[in-house]
Amino acid sequence: MLDQSKTDKITTDLLRPIRLNKAFVLWMGFLGISLVICLYAYTLQLKNGMVVTGLRDYVSWGMYISNFVFFVATSLIGMLISAVLGLSGAKWAAPLARIAEIIALAFAAVAGLVIISDMGHPERLMYVFIYGRIQSPIVWDITVVSVYVVISALLLYLPLIPDMKICYNKLEKIPKLNRWLYKILSLNWNGSLEQEKIIKNSTRILAILIIPVALAIHTVTSWLFASTSRVGWDSTIFGPYFVTGAFVSGSAAVIIAMFFYRKNFKLQDYITDLHFDKMGKLLVLVSLVYLYFNLNEFMVPAYKMKKFDAIHLNDLFAGSYALMFWAVQILGLVLPILLLLFRKMRKPLPITIIAIFVIVGAWFKRYIIVVPTQEHPYLPIQNVPLNFKIYSPTLTETLITIAPFILVLIIITLLSKLIPVIPVHESIHQNEETQNEN
Amino acid sequence: MSEKEEKPKKKSRRDFLQNIGLVGVGSVFAGSAILAGIKYDKKKTPGARIKVLTAENELLEIDKNDTTKVKITKAEDLTLLQKEGREGIAGKRWVMVVDLSKCKNARKCMSACQNAHHLRPEQHHINVLKMQEGKNTAPFYMAKPCQHCDNPPCVAVCPVDATFKRPDGIVLIDNERCIGCRFCIAACPYSARVFNWATPVLEEEDKNKTYNVELNVPQRKGTISKCLFSADMLREGKMPYCVSACPNGVYYFGDENEDAVTNGTTKETVRLKKLLEENAGYRLMPELGTEPRVYYLPPKNRTAPFQEKDKSEAEEHLDNNKD
Amino acid sequence: MFRKHHFIKISLTFLITTLFYLHSFAQNWDIPDDKKTKNANFKFTNQTISEGEAIYTKNCMSCHGNLGKDNSLKTLNPIPPDLASVKTQERTDGELFFIITTGRMLMPSFKVILSEEERWKLTSYIRSLNKKYVQIVSETNTSKSNLIKIKMDFDSLTNKLKVDVKANETSGVVSLKDAEVMLFVLRYFGKLQIDKTVRTNNEGIATFNFPKDLPGDKTGNVDLVVKVSDEIYGEVETQSKFKAGIPTDKPSLTEKRAIWNVLKKAPIWIIITYTSIVLIVGAVLLYIIYSLMKLRKLGNN
Repeated sequence: MLDQSKTDKITTDLLRPIRLNKAFVLWMGFLGISLVICLYAYTLQLKNGMVVTGLRDYVSWGMYISNFVFFVATSLIGMLISAVLGLSGAKWAAPLARIAEIIALAFAAVAGLVIISDMGHPERLMYVFIYGRIQSPIVWDITVVSVYVVISALLLYLPLIPDMKICYNKLEKIPKLNRWLYKILSLNWNGSLEQEKIIKNSTRILAILIIPVALAIHTVTSWLFASTSRVGWDSTIFGPYFVTGAFVSGSAAVIIAMFFYRKNFKLQDYITDLHFDKMGKLLVLVSLVYLYFNLNEFMVPAYKMKKFDAIHLNDLFAGSYALMFWAVQILGLVLPILLLLFRKMRKPLPITIIAIFVIVGAWFKRYIIVVPTQEHPYLPIQNVPLNFKIYSPTLTETLITIAPFILVLIIITLLSKLIPVIPVHESIHQNEETQNEN
Repeated sequence: MSEKEEKPKKKSRRDFLQNIGLVGVGSVFAGSAILAGIKYDKKKTPGARIKVLTAENELLEIDKNDTTKVKITKAEDLTLLQKEGREGIAGKRWVMVVDLSKCKNARKCMSACQNAHHLRPEQHHINVLKMQEGKNTAPFYMAKPCQHCDNPPCVAVCPVDATFKRPDGIVLIDNERCIGCRFCIAACPYSARVFNWATPVLEEEDKNKTYNVELNVPQRKGTISKCLFSADMLREGKMPYCVSACPNGVYYFGDENEDAVTNGTTKETVRLKKLLEENAGYRLMPELGTEPRVYYLPPKNRTAPFQEKDKSEAEEHLDNNKD
Repeated sequence: MFRKHHFIKISLTFLITTLFYLHSFAQNWDIPDDKKTKNANFKFTNQTISEGEAIYTKNCMSCHGNLGKDNSLKTLNPIPPDLASVKTQERTDGELFFIITTGRMLMPSFKVILSEEERWKLTSYIRSLNKKYVQIVSETNTSKSNLIKIKMDFDSLTNKLKVDVKANETSGVVSLKDAEVMLFVLRYFGKLQIDKTVRTNNEGIATFNFPKDLPGDKTGNVDLVVKVSDEIYGEVETQSKFKAGIPTDKPSLTEKRAIWNVLKKAPIWIIITYTSIVLIVGAVLLYIIYSLMKLRKLGNN
């Protein structure tokens, strides 16, 4: 005997956030205005050229590229939670899968835009498809990132099909357009066994496929650096180093999103302390692996102190980047690991604060990977103005760097207002299963 | 620690927001003085003997008056220049030899190059560096053009074939194609590439010129520029701008297939192998496997001492932990 | 004791260096009298001036600057003079010709680079801004160089090149004795001198050792230039092709497949890897879309 009232409660709880309220309008208004300001900064760059940035001939990749790496990194979490945990049968992660996929889709899609902001001739983007050289890591990167966006979108969509039907059936007081959208997207779902099977199979195939693709997007991103002979980039472990780092920032992003949804969407019954506890343990695990790769990445060259490695590492450890470097390593990695070992620290609020530290650290970590290396070329930097030797980002550049974050927030906000962030159909299903077991 | 004046500046690196005014626009207009020098290569020489390369790759010397210029429309002209520019000069393998013992930091190469390619004062296709490799080793001046590697890391990473290597060894950049991703700058270990961050100095004057990939003029905002071994000059049988501008006999230029290089100052032609053998010629960073086409002769028995005033700058690049 | 010794050494070095520089400043070009009075055997015209200008631009301007603009390269020691200056213009044509020919210290010799005619044309350009200048045209040996006949003979066994220099006098053919002969191979930017400068023997023959490893064209041909200078007959140059070099036909540098080469010449493994990955992923995605279409169809029934 099924508890119909329980099912109804789940449905109402999870569909409740799908409505327009004042907070949403205010929030979107704020995001919209901020985006317009940032886009104005970008028009300045289009008009005057990249001279409006702090980039110059020696440090020619700066915040935009750091940002790109950060965005690609954060999007990797979709693969970890919905594919790796899903396939390994970790049931606790199921309610988080959609949040992870939303984050993955938003960050991966925007990453493509970030790279365009770094181009001197953005209108020539099509040339990559017309004249693309498959020997260039950029072409690989564009290929795998687009594939990843498609797969993430599908992985988000497939489990959503039954939910679309539920939305269509249950949400009646919404604009016609939205209802029409739900109808289209529900693909004539009728809950038959055959349909269930198709969804299950397809999801499984995609979950398997996304693992190598996700590994590829970040490995290839790391190869943008590792394929050069530059000090600090010329490393064979850059692929796994980047991938493990990606899980750290992605897990932190999911924790922050969980906290926000739980509080604002009143989902305390669905995103429980247990989820935060598990995510905390996951974050410790991936951070430890990342710490291990950090040790390899810095310890091995620091032991030998080869001429140019020494210049680079001295600048990181004790030079002009020392403050940033140690802040990132200690506040963004070592301390979070230590704190999260305590159960109390894995409660929603403390873990969210820790996750904010981790994600800020992760952004600056990308900056440290991208920028200092270029200030230490093999041949001396001479006969150029001072701002060629030392990179300092400009306000315009900073605004253009902020724009992708706003875009990500807009995408996430819109998606959370269109679809239930916790899978409804699956939650009902799981509820039924637990009841049957009893 | 060397007491460099830039040091205090470094501390403000994180003050992102304070730097709005320091974009470096000040240097933007400083390059207008470049205009004057461009003309001198264009002088007409009626009746002069010129060298022309036939389709069969034979070098003939004919009277310039006997040639008639083929009139072509602008669009065709561009197609032709692009085609020629990608094909290069058949049968050649250009090579440059830089004799460090003769460099006196006169910097005529740098200015001739900037004039020819319409560059800003801070853009260098060729840069004379003050080098010091170890605490007790002697400082020296080193002219550094693009090394035109036979295994070019910059060309490898280009996503759109905008920078490419020609059959004759020259690495060129096509700014009609370049998307401005600057991956090549990141990949070049010799820091040989520059970017047009702002509007090029002579944009107005060059507005109606057809783009010549062998000269990279007109320069274009948002694209890369780099040393081209003066491919346009080579086609005319002349030596690169920097090579012929040097007053000190630093540069030799020639064809590896002919085993001959000609000194840009004295115009003396010598055998490449012999020159490299007798002077212990070497290449920059051979360990990277880039196979440069630029060779260096060590700064032994120098014709002029290293200037005292340049010593601190040369030392800057040493390990910053030195005492 | 040591320090005193040291001091003396430094002072001495300093003194010698100073004297040397003073000497080089003060010292005039050591030009033999018979060279001073030498003159061109053709009239300087606008044509020779403009040809001379082209030679000047190519060979002299980087140090001497533009003629009459006083913008020679002042950082050199000694400072190269502006050649339109009074001091230079006071020299005779013969002196200028001698200076161009032999060179001294920083000034390179143009004896090999430029032919006699070119050197005179250069002189005519240097004179072009001087309004007071009146040319003296040499009346002797005007067309004697036309009489010279040069025969070149390459022996591929011994790799020796024999140059036979004769003059067709009205009295009959005579051998040019003790004439200066130079042998060059034409290269892209200039003439590469082969062996040393040789003087002809009593039979008018000069022999050169040709290197065994000099690259020629595809068939081994090289363009040889022989330059004969004689006190009486003047200077003469001839050019001819000989199969004296190594056949050279190096492939173009972009022939092999490589990571850095164009798309068409990408390494096979990259092409295979990239294409197969794209195809596999594409096929899977198509299958998923097909499944979704099937799912939609099932709902219709």
